[in-house]
Amino acid sequence: MLSNFLSNYRSVAGLIFVVLAIVLVEFFEVRTSVYPSLLPFFEWLKYSSWIGYLGITYGSIYATIQAVHLISMAIIGGTVLVTDLRLLGVLLKDIPSETITKGTHQCFKYSLSVAIATGIFCAAGVADKVYYMSVFWIKMLALLVGSCFMFFIKQPLLNSRSHSEIDPWILRILAVASITIWFTVAATGRWIGFS
Amino acid sequence: MNNSKWDDRTIAAASSSVIIVGALLYYWVGEVQSTVELLELAYGSFKFFNNPMIF
Repeated sequence: MLSNFLSNYRSVAGLIFVVLAIVLVEFFEVRTSVYPSLLPFFEWLKYSSWIGYLGITYGSIYATIQAVHLISMAIIGGTVLVTDLRLLGVLLKDIPSETITKGTHQCFKYSLSVAIATGIFCAAGVADKVYYMSVFWIKMLALLVGSCFMFFIKQPLLNSRSHSEIDPWILRILAVASITIWFTVAATGRWIGFS
Repeated sequence: MNNSKWDDRTIAAASSSVIIVGALLYYWVGEVQSTVELLELAYGSFKFFNNPMIF
């Protein structure tokens, strides 16, 4: 029976596993016990790694890469908004949502790669500061959840069939969840910069 | 199973979306609540325009 469930409901089983893992990590206080051991890595990232050295020493390089980071985040925001507002039926109603979903996802993938690469550089320059900021960890968590949601939940469903065959309320809740999570990534990112 | 309207991917999408929206609403409402409490602690009461740094 369990193997039958696992073969028929692979995504649901994966989701249950992830939720259970999060509950267990919090219950056994794994997160709080791992947190102090990460400090040496963040100190090394700022003071000993070459990206940390570049970020601290050359303000112009740091500013340029941060600009690329912000532009890639803007492109991510644009692709997410266009896709999700189309799924909500707010804009571009004359274009099939399947076309928009597939077209924007390519752009999203490249922008996310650039945002992560430049984001590591930006974090390295202020690693000893962001380590102590809870909002930084919220952003990392939101980025991880948003990426997993996009690649393992949202896109597989939207690419599996015509959108007219999917319940409209499922499309709406998908769009709302996607906008909310990427809004959180953007807002917490600016919060880090503002603090 | 794949022909069903509520198949594996649909259930996973609906449940993960509800979890994400619920968790993020909980987080942002908590942030608003703690900000209001901080303002009340600092200035005695919460008003939208009671920031002494500005006025």
